[in-house]
Amino acid sequence: MFISRRAALLGAAALSLCTPVFAQEASWPSQPQHVYVGFPAGSSPDLLARIVTEPLAEKLGQPFVIENKPGAGGIIGIQQMLNAKDQENSFATTINGPLTTAPRLTPSLGYDVAADIAPVTLIATSPLVLVVAADFTAEDLSGFVEAAGEEPEALAYGSVGQGSGAHLTAELFSDRAGVEMLHIPFTSYAEVTTAIIGHEIDAGFMAPSAAMQYVEAGKLRILGITSQEPFAQAPGVPVMAGQAGLPEDFRAELWNAFIAPADTDPAVIDQLSTDINAILDDETVQQRLLDMGWQAAGGTPEDLEKRIAEDTKVWGSVLDRIDAKD
Amino acid sequence: MSGWDGFLHGLSVAAQPDVLIYCMFGVLLGTFVGVLPGIGAMATISLLLPITYYLSPEAALVMLAGVYYGSQYGGAVASILLRLPGTPQSAVTTLDGYPLAQQGRAGVALFTSMVSSFAGSMIGIFVLIVLSGALTRAAVAFGAAEYAAMMLLGLVAASTVGAKAPAKGLAMVVLGLILGCVGTDVNSGAQRFTFGQTELMDGINLVALAMGLFGVAEVIANIRKAERTGVPPHVALRDLMPSRAELRRIPFPALRGASLGSFFGALPGTGSTISSFLAYAAERRISRRPEQFGKGAIEGIAGPEAANNSAAISAFVPTLALGIPGDPIMALMLGALVIHGVQPGPLMLEARPDMFWGLIASFGIGNLLLLVLNLPLIGIWVSMLRIPFRWLYPAILIFVCLGVYSVRGASFDIFAVALIGVIGYALMLARFNPALLLLGFVLGPLIETNLRRALLIGRGDPMVFLQRPLAAAFIIAAAGLIVMSLVQVIRRKGTPAEPAS
Repeated sequence: MFISRRAALLGAAALSLCTPVFAQEASWPSQPQHVYVGFPAGSSPDLLARIVTEPLAEKLGQPFVIENKPGAGGIIGIQQMLNAKDQENSFATTINGPLTTAPRLTPSLGYDVAADIAPVTLIATSPLVLVVAADFTAEDLSGFVEAAGEEPEALAYGSVGQGSGAHLTAELFSDRAGVEMLHIPFTSYAEVTTAIIGHEIDAGFMAPSAAMQYVEAGKLRILGITSQEPFAQAPGVPVMAGQAGLPEDFRAELWNAFIAPADTDPAVIDQLSTDINAILDDETVQQRLLDMGWQAAGGTPEDLEKRIAEDTKVWGSVLDRIDAKD
Repeated sequence: MSGWDGFLHGLSVAAQPDVLIYCMFGVLLGTFVGVLPGIGAMATISLLLPITYYLSPEAALVMLAGVYYGSQYGGAVASILLRLPGTPQSAVTTLDGYPLAQQGRAGVALFTSMVSSFAGSMIGIFVLIVLSGALTRAAVAFGAAEYAAMMLLGLVAASTVGAKAPAKGLAMVVLGLILGCVGTDVNSGAQRFTFGQTELMDGINLVALAMGLFGVAEVIANIRKAERTGVPPHVALRDLMPSRAELRRIPFPALRGASLGSFFGALPGTGSTISSFLAYAAERRISRRPEQFGKGAIEGIAGPEAANNSAAISAFVPTLALGIPGDPIMALMLGALVIHGVQPGPLMLEARPDMFWGLIASFGIGNLLLLVLNLPLIGIWVSMLRIPFRWLYPAILIFVCLGVYSVRGASFDIFAVALIGVIGYALMLARFNPALLLLGFVLGPLIETNLRRALLIGRGDPMVFLQRPLAAAFIIAAAGLIVMSLVQVIRRKGTPAEPAS
């Protein structure tokens, strides 16, 4: 017992000698780590968090416990991460909304993105596709813009809620294409697809995974995708940028990121960022993400910080436009 | 593959030994958590979800589904014995189940609920096999206008549930509607009555509301009673079995309840809580002995219990065939399917017939298991009444807190359930019916969202409700019900006052 303990200590000392950069952090992680997810178990953000944290736990030798704190569009997960930071090592994975548009849309947010949150790394991105019923009159995006431009609110589109990615993307699209569409908020993509199939509404922006099955079944058609590059999960779907009067730099993506409380040790953040990026380089991980409609992304903490700032600006201007309309 | 061929094929999947064992485990666990107030299928399925990574997709889904419909059986037990609904879906069962238990007929009430639950499930399965195609098409044809009109009809029909004091009943429905407004407005994104609490942004937690109004309030009420009544009456074995006359009062209400339940379960967003309320309202309305309702009417148990069980089965139609979960539990099931690489939707029937039909066949096997397991258990459940209150009620409070917390891991909800419990007790003292509050709470947001959505889609024209034939039919039926009630009131005023019973 004594000997083995001493051997272990020696081993630890040797390890810390080998990697002097992490010398002061040799003890991390010495206990279970907590990752807050603002969505329920079984939801897409939850599954994504599990895909990333499982290999992470293996690599770092400590369990990463997923804490599902669903509610308020993911805001509660971040609040809970910040509440817990003094009792445990708390982190979070989150979708873009709580970091970019929530400060505008939620008066009682309870955190300041710049002051309270340390970006770690982007995990994955997802473009949106513009979907219409299979028997929609227009053949392609130009035809759609033409139909939408006949008169204000000639076409109605569904989203998954006021201020959601689907809503803001549609408004960005309308702005850039110079049309005016009627917004009908729903609460899930499934409701939106049903309303399109039932001809209650004309169109909707949604995650490719929400639409592909209906496309294969011949009930829906996809007119374009909001990423700059074609997307593997939606083969043959044309990129919208540069088409039908849209600018070349037109882009709208949802994303998912790993974040930490602002006062987390920078060495821990660097290590997490490096390790998660290594995990995202793995092809099986990439495939698992792609099956769920996510494109593995990665990047440095600085990249994520830049992305948050850019998107806050882009979506902020879209929100200005929506406010001006009301 | 036709429905029946598919079902037979499914039986071969569901009868595999490992699937069978997980099915049995699921329904047993479901019954158990259904009995515990507060802890329901939602919490159990979330806890089991990570474990299912290690199972075959068929076994995993069959087990999780078993927990879901198994909890519908268990939910009635605590409703009947303790006036504490094990699940929100069985809240209505307290209205007649508890009075029967107080008359020493708890066994009869439990028997009625088990048999009706079984009948409801079997009819639900039958409807699923025969009509799954038609139900899917109906769900697509149901737009916002139809939903709004149908919910309005439901609200009107069910508002008479505890009609001893109409004004008090109305007050409860309205209070429920108001509480249903709390949270983020779907249309504008505005925060309503959230007072800066992020926990209220998604509205008041349904489980916290149901458990506070029924569970905690009942516990408070019993703290006072416990000293006085002491040990509850001993239940003799022969009291467990219903008489022949009582048996005859089960089949038709169960059949009606099951039809209502199958229909409402198949419509996404309505779910089994509403269908149990509507079944109760329907039974009360057509009964020749409406005065017995609320005092231990067999029909008041048979109808709602059949309805919530058949709704629990047919709720799988929109979930599997459209990918639209009808309630949060179905959303969780959807997540479980996706974890196991099954994409629910129009292609599921073709792409994964083993999964689809295996699951449905397992419902049949699971419900048979539930009936066989539960009938002998009736005696044991009844003996729960002999547990001294000083042990039983603290234990119940612990389960309520655990259950409410487990829904979304928010300690806020525990404080909420305590506060709602105190309010519920006050309502109980003033003889208000909390079931109506729950009804308003569940229906209100559905009516509001769909009404506003229909008007938005119709570019503000209220005629959309009359131009769409289905919606118009619902509106006319609701208007008819109101007129009927008014005529009754006027007639009653014309005749000499009835002796108060």
